[in-house]
Amino acid sequence: MIDAPLHPAAPLTLFEKLWNSHVVVVSPHGEDLLYVDFNMINEGGAFLAFDQLRLEGRKARRPTQQMAVTDHYLPTINRAAGTAGIANPEIRRVVEMQAENARDFALPHIDMHHRMQGIIHVIAPELGIAQPGMMITCNDSHTATNGAFGLLASPIGASNQLRHVIATQTVWMNRPKPMRIVIDGELPDGVTPKDIILSIIARIGVGGAVGHAIEYAGSTIRAMSMEGRMTICNMSVEAGAKIGLIAPDDTTFAYLAGRPKSPQGDAWDKALAYWRTLHSDEGAVFARELHIDVSTLAPMVSWGTSPEDCAPIDGTVPDPAAIADADRRRHVERALEYLGLAPLTPLQQIRIDRVFIGSCTNSRIEDLRSAAAVLKGRRCVVPGMVSPGSSSVKRQAEAEGLDLIFKAAGLEWRDSGCSMCNGSNGELVAPGERSASTTNRNFEGRQGRDSRTHIMSPAMVAAAAVVGHLADVRSMAVKEIAS
Amino acid sequence: MKPFVTLTAIAAPVEIAKIDTGMILPGRYMRRHRRPGHDYSEAFLHDLRFDEKEQPRADFSLNQPAYQHCEILVTDADFGCGSSREGAAYAVLDFGLRALIGPSFGDIFYANCLQNGVLPIVLPYPAIHALWRQLRATPGATITIDLPAQSVIAPDGSTFDFEINALRKQRLIDGVDDIDVTLGHIEAIRAFEETRQADMPWLPTSG
Repeated sequence: MIDAPLHPAAPLTLFEKLWNSHVVVVSPHGEDLLYVDFNMINEGGAFLAFDQLRLEGRKARRPTQQMAVTDHYLPTINRAAGTAGIANPEIRRVVEMQAENARDFALPHIDMHHRMQGIIHVIAPELGIAQPGMMITCNDSHTATNGAFGLLASPIGASNQLRHVIATQTVWMNRPKPMRIVIDGELPDGVTPKDIILSIIARIGVGGAVGHAIEYAGSTIRAMSMEGRMTICNMSVEAGAKIGLIAPDDTTFAYLAGRPKSPQGDAWDKALAYWRTLHSDEGAVFARELHIDVSTLAPMVSWGTSPEDCAPIDGTVPDPAAIADADRRRHVERALEYLGLAPLTPLQQIRIDRVFIGSCTNSRIEDLRSAAAVLKGRRCVVPGMVSPGSSSVKRQAEAEGLDLIFKAAGLEWRDSGCSMCNGSNGELVAPGERSASTTNRNFEGRQGRDSRTHIMSPAMVAAAAVVGHLADVRSMAVKEIAS
Repeated sequence: MKPFVTLTAIAAPVEIAKIDTGMILPGRYMRRHRRPGHDYSEAFLHDLRFDEKEQPRADFSLNQPAYQHCEILVTDADFGCGSSREGAAYAVLDFGLRALIGPSFGDIFYANCLQNGVLPIVLPYPAIHALWRQLRATPGATITIDLPAQSVIAPDGSTFDFEINALRKQRLIDGVDDIDVTLGHIEAIRAFEETRQADMPWLPTSG
């Protein structure tokens, strides 16, 4: 009889524990067949998958582990009129197709009239669907948002891969390498989780974490709310990682307690005991580790056409002539030409034409509070809109009076959806217009053809709206808004 | 899925870095059904190929007559980064391309290409610059791709080897669909499912 194992199990990273617990088949060729606990489907391109499933005569294998949501194509106005109120016939058709496909494949659907309607990565946590230990997939690149709850959340392709998950409740994936980013230090006033993730992307580049699953750790993360953690995990894909995650802790459990789909009673106690095992073991080995001290971090803004093209607000637009790497220089030259920016322009001199507050990155209640705190008692000098991340965020914001602050400042208070982040619902930044946005991507044409996007935190967008150019929110008096 | 074994075809240089999936398939095209005769070929890199008046941009390589029947692009870094829209891979396919050669690709886009029978090949920058140089010198020159041998043969006959996941390689060569392969494991999936439900009865359902 052996009292203790001669070779105790090797310490594992949280990512490895989660991945291992979902492997159904190990392929000799390097890809694993993973079990999908829950799959979410938005209308962006999903109809291609349903078209093909219909052609093949296939059905959804586990409909109650799937959920359809309408978020990308829904206009954020005129909801009461139903689909008849959607002016653009192509957009209306996509919204109708999602409802038809959900019905034909017997999938529960959070549709445009549902009380919980919202952006998929905002409502999955609100409903208590995103629970520690799970594997969640979605045909959306920002699926890693849900990883903030200590689970594997991975984007899948909107056609072939989605078709596969609907038909089999599994997905083939290459195992990424574990990477850890340890974030320490107290965030200065006016600096937010968005600034942390932008600074990480600026540092490692849009390809910096390709092939890796990022675990965010450290004292700053431990002190952060679930909303902030979601913002960080959300943008993992902008550094090239499909998966980003954070070990669950008491903050996570407090958020989950009492949610509609959270376990109750005995089940809660059992779940909690399991959830507490979900952390990287002492001595676990990461393929890459990065340490960041945020105690001196400044608010970040983008100056280019890639999320890595970011700099602290007190900096300037780079000078391509000073960039040694020829390929990087070519990108920067093109970016500045597209954005109509001269080299070495101080970032705070960049004038804007409009603002957008919303998206799966920054549309939760905390985000709206931080923008409202800047806007309270002030007027915006440019137009803009606020689209809360979900109908319940909208209700809560209205209960707190935030809608009145936005409206008094001159911004439009809209319904919930992906909206102007990528404009697939027709809400676009006009050609040549420059927008300060709380969104995740500043690619060419992202917010509409020839649109010029600068991404930043909600407080920084609010500051820009008040003065009409990019501005340092730290230099503005901010009214505290109680939660 | 159309099998991919070897290909000798005209290759076009596209020397722009970070062409994201939104440039490959502009958002406004994503609302369209994709059916025979109404595919995404028009959408492919539309705003790079055409100006605001829908006139072809003369300085863009794909608009030159020599590249009219190209089936291979030699791209710059991070081609296909950005949004996970799978339509981007369809746009590549519908435009008539079978392979992309570049220094790096967006992760999701790379996988989507393989799922749709398009072969993305990663080669280091020196190889990419060599290919661009040769293609510019002789517009309409062909490149040969030998998937079983994992090699790219440049117009001047020089050869560059590339890496590809063995499973993806075999499925491309066989033209086999993933769902068929997976359903061959249905008993293992069912057994996994039963154990998981017994262990974690609290997992959420949407019903």
